[in-house]
Amino acid sequence: MPIHEEHLIRPENLKTHENLVIDGIDVSGHWSTFIESRVLTNYNEQMEEEIAALPGGEFIHRCWQCGSCTNSCTVNAVNPEFNPRYWIYLIRTGMESELLRDKDIIWQCVSCNKCTYACPRDVAPEGVMKATAHWLELKGHTPKSPSTHFDEVFSEQVIQTGKIEEGRIIRSFFARTKQELMQDWLVEMVKRLVSKLPVTMLMRMGLANVLRPRTKNWGAARDAITEYVDEQNAAHRKALKLDDLVEMAKSEVKPGQAPAE
Amino acid sequence: MSDPVLIVGGGPAGLAAAHSLATVGQKSILVEKEDRLGGAPILSGYAKLVPSGEWAKDAIGGMVERVEQSGLVDIKTGVTVSEFSGNPGAFKAKLSDDKSIKASAALLTTGFTHFDSINKPEWGFGTHQDVVTTTQVEQMISSGQGVRCPSDGRKPKRVAILLCVGSRDRQIGREWCSKICCTVSANMAMEIREELPDCHVYIYYMDIRTFGLYETGYYWRSQEEFKVKYIKARIAEVTSDGDKLIVKGEDTLVKRPITIPFDMVVHAIGMDPNMDNLLLSTIFDVGLEPHGFIGKQNAYGALGETSRPGVFVAGSATGPETIDDSIAQGHAAAMSAFAIAQGPMKDAAE
Repeated sequence: MPIHEEHLIRPENLKTHENLVIDGIDVSGHWSTFIESRVLTNYNEQMEEEIAALPGGEFIHRCWQCGSCTNSCTVNAVNPEFNPRYWIYLIRTGMESELLRDKDIIWQCVSCNKCTYACPRDVAPEGVMKATAHWLELKGHTPKSPSTHFDEVFSEQVIQTGKIEEGRIIRSFFARTKQELMQDWLVEMVKRLVSKLPVTMLMRMGLANVLRPRTKNWGAARDAITEYVDEQNAAHRKALKLDDLVEMAKSEVKPGQAPAE
Repeated sequence: MSDPVLIVGGGPAGLAAAHSLATVGQKSILVEKEDRLGGAPILSGYAKLVPSGEWAKDAIGGMVERVEQSGLVDIKTGVTVSEFSGNPGAFKAKLSDDKSIKASAALLTTGFTHFDSINKPEWGFGTHQDVVTTTQVEQMISSGQGVRCPSDGRKPKRVAILLCVGSRDRQIGREWCSKICCTVSANMAMEIREELPDCHVYIYYMDIRTFGLYETGYYWRSQEEFKVKYIKARIAEVTSDGDKLIVKGEDTLVKRPITIPFDMVVHAIGMDPNMDNLLLSTIFDVGLEPHGFIGKQNAYGALGETSRPGVFVAGSATGPETIDDSIAQGHAAAMSAFAIAQGPMKDAAE
């Protein structure tokens, strides 16, 4: 089998002149096909450390590329492009541009954790997928996924009140993901709840929506959790040098001044 | 009283054998062609040994001292054996200093020769100053100088260790695996990372053979604790752009050609048969195995037998071997030689 398999020659790297004559010889069409170089020069050797600094990515450096994760992967069975082994390798070798080609697939991990149990080195590939998706979001390569929005809405509410109020979570989640609140299925569900549930329960749900009840003496817990979450977020931003990037952007373009050379 | 046992070669196996024989009261003559004992770990200036982590000069130096202080070992350095004749229990040998000795049995602990990287010119050794061998890096570490680029003495920021240099390569007639280089390289990568934490260390491999218990202490530990990176690729060539070394190959895991700059490239050189093996084979009339190491007979009978009765072999003279196993084989073969030296007792036992 040839080493350079066909799928490696990407269509955008194929250059063909429809009409080309060189030294009087007509080399139009596929006679002039030229494959552009696949050589990468922009290695990002910080990428592994950055992803290792995010929750779930801690053990990425253990990987020895056996492929157990990809073989056991639920998503890979459906989509062969979903290849945790390959992405771990790209991250470890710093091939950022290659990883970014798959940025819209990586988040598809369903966290079934089959890889976690298959991995002989305890890399915890599922965690690495999570950390990688998180990294892509923090670096601005991908928008926040719906599930990230949901997690945020959910945890913000729990942290603030010590309670979960589903109605508010749904409303905030829809607002952040710019979805209509009046969705057919939701309207239908509310209608049936109203017709089937006992009146007292409906009243409690209604009141909870208005009064926003809190767990008693929640303040201290809220402060402690908030402090921890802030610490974690700050650590992640620092590991990814996000604030440095912001500073750099600021210093490069100052108001009323031409961009620095 | 029987004649002494002739031990040829004062490396780990020979030193172990001499010590073993001394502990059971058997005299031996230890012939070493170099001017001092210790073998490769001392003569080539190895740093910390696998798996003890002890400095070679302490660990092997201790073995040398023990033998030197024994009254039962007649040490002859700077001498070789030029003629050897006779039968088990009554051998005669002539040494290069023209002295003749009698021996009841002989033990060849003649070791190996480091692969000379000049035989793989495409990997840049001899062309580029900053392409070095594992032996040279061992010396940088053991001398206390530290790992530095030979060209200008700078601390390298990126080091590539190429495995299987002089091993597993039909092109240069070396089909064997040298067995120790993976573990030595993993150990060296950790030492480099320890001394130079900002230095990226890459190991280019075809297979990783940190056999047995070395798996955790060297392969796993180098990855898990020291973040050494392993790339599955056999390097095609090492060139230079005038500033950095340029390593070219194919990263087989992503099916992609790689061209990567490095400050220093280290050849994990393999173990060749001792370059004197043809001569030794002629002098002692012992057969060589197909790769050119000294051939062993039946592994399940007497330990360390060669094709000639009464002449035994141990350590890396028999093929690539670790220091630990060379020592164990030295002790074991000494037992076989001792049995010949004490000839009549064997008959009584039968």
